[in-house]
Amino acid sequence: MTDSVYPEEILQSLEDYNIDIRDFLPGHGNGAKLLLDFNKISGIEQVEGIVLKGREIKNGIVADVIIKEGTHHEEPIHLCFGVNKESGIQEIFPRIIAEDNTDVKIQAHCSFPKANGLIHKMYGHFYIGKNCNFIYSETHYHGENSGALVAPVAYMYVGENSTFENNFNLTKGTPGIVKIMIDIYAMRNSTIRSNIRAFGKSNKDSIRIRDSIFLEGENAKSLIKMKAAARGGGEVLMYGITEGNAPHCNGHVECNEIVLGKGSICRARPFIRATDPTSSVSHEASLGRFPQKWLDELQAKGLTEQEATDILIEAMLRE
Amino acid sequence: MLLELENVTIQTFDQQRIIVNNVSFGVKEGSIHSIIGPNGSGKSTLAYAIMGLSNYKLTSGKIKFEGQDITNKTITERAQLGITLAWQEPARIEGLSVAKYISLGIKEKSKIREKIKNVLKMVNLEPEKYYNRCIDDSLSGGERKRIELAAAIAMQPRLIILDEPDSGLDVIITEDFWNIFNKIKDLTMTVCLITHREDIGMVADYGTLLWRGEHLITDEFPKVMLQYCKKAGLKEFCKRALFKNGVKCFDDDYIDKIFEGVDL
Repeated sequence: MTDSVYPEEILQSLEDYNIDIRDFLPGHGNGAKLLLDFNKISGIEQVEGIVLKGREIKNGIVADVIIKEGTHHEEPIHLCFGVNKESGIQEIFPRIIAEDNTDVKIQAHCSFPKANGLIHKMYGHFYIGKNCNFIYSETHYHGENSGALVAPVAYMYVGENSTFENNFNLTKGTPGIVKIMIDIYAMRNSTIRSNIRAFGKSNKDSIRIRDSIFLEGENAKSLIKMKAAARGGGEVLMYGITEGNAPHCNGHVECNEIVLGKGSICRARPFIRATDPTSSVSHEASLGRFPQKWLDELQAKGLTEQEATDILIEAMLRE
Repeated sequence: MLLELENVTIQTFDQQRIIVNNVSFGVKEGSIHSIIGPNGSGKSTLAYAIMGLSNYKLTSGKIKFEGQDITNKTITERAQLGITLAWQEPARIEGLSVAKYISLGIKEKSKIREKIKNVLKMVNLEPEKYYNRCIDDSLSGGERKRIELAAAIAMQPRLIILDEPDSGLDVIITEDFWNIFNKIKDLTMTVCLITHREDIGMVADYGTLLWRGEHLITDEFPKVMLQYCKKAGLKEFCKRALFKNGVKCFDDDYIDKIFEGVDL
């Protein structure tokens, strides 16, 4: 596939994230790839040890990503779900299976630069086997019209002795309406880290993210870090859940949100629950403005309060 | 005088207590001027008031910079005039890189990478190791303070206020900081050094002694230090510790007389 076959608007859309999608296109780099142009598969490239298959259905695709046992890949697997239309429905049903003893990264890009009445839904199932090291990063761009409705749901099983990192980034452009639900089940000796970043910028932006980790295996550990900002009447709700249901498991939820300007709303609901007496689960949340001392320190370098706030937001939401 | 304080009084936020009482002194351009005094004497409060922090407004008095009254200027306006502060306990901000942090105060952005690397070298940090790191909890106290110092130097301010740059550091690192101050001295910027350590303060040309919020003396630094020791009843320490450039500042006899209250 040549670069020009994939819509230029999508290729350029993640520049603000310092991501050039061209680097991930078929023929570039050594990673496996699956590219979707609205509801059509426009490119698939497999590499040894990684099976990538997709089937088009009405309004979307069903896709399988299977990482064969023992596969180690430095180069990330690239999934690009792009829509270069204002409206329509895109539904993705991915099944992602990492067999035992694998070490891979998936970089997913969801880009809808013209969204204005566009619906994107995902129903993802992740199975990560034993002794794996797995990083899943998803970067979103929904254009500048607050015109997307994005509602992904993901169920993730993380096997014994595995490490799983989940990164979600929606900090550029205007998100529109976003409803995300992630459930992660952590088995014995597994370690989970989930980093969520989102920025609502207009009164048409409403972001609700529920990130849940269920520590089901002995010694499982987790950390959820949710960071968000709302300005211009935007609304963000971060709902971080951790349940300690196994002996000696340990989890922590952290929510930090910054509210800028009147009419903007940030809400945080860290929710923790323990059913095992040897488990340890904790949370912390902060909402509001940046500490005055941070602003003073940056202003003492000649920045205005607004410039200092922008720098701090950029830092907070940096992946 | 580059900086002049005229009858500066600062009260606590609830106006229940005076922290700094009617203090007046000046800081000469190009000098290292140390403000010393025991804990609670109002040194840091004075530093924050000079920088213009909103919680440290003057109850009365004036602050002048290059003859201009800056009492009502904001922290940003003062920084733009050429005043900056390296904080005693600088913040740790996840996601903000060392390079970005240092670059914030650099006005002329050409060859910025080189400028950032140069100031990192100046504070004895390897640029390759620190350039892309974040100013977060992964840095030790000493590393964070060096970066703070680097960021302040990078601004090329007219006046740099160093608020207890030595606090919380061990002896070896403190020694290294001494070397860094000597490098700053060569940069022809005026330094206002807040400290309660005499060994750090001895790099200073001039000093001001604050005692429970009152201004006791402003003079050449060894003379100020002598008064500090006298006030604190530290005669033997004074004989043992007051050296400048390896030379004892005062004869023991002279110190004895000062402590006896002989008017010299």
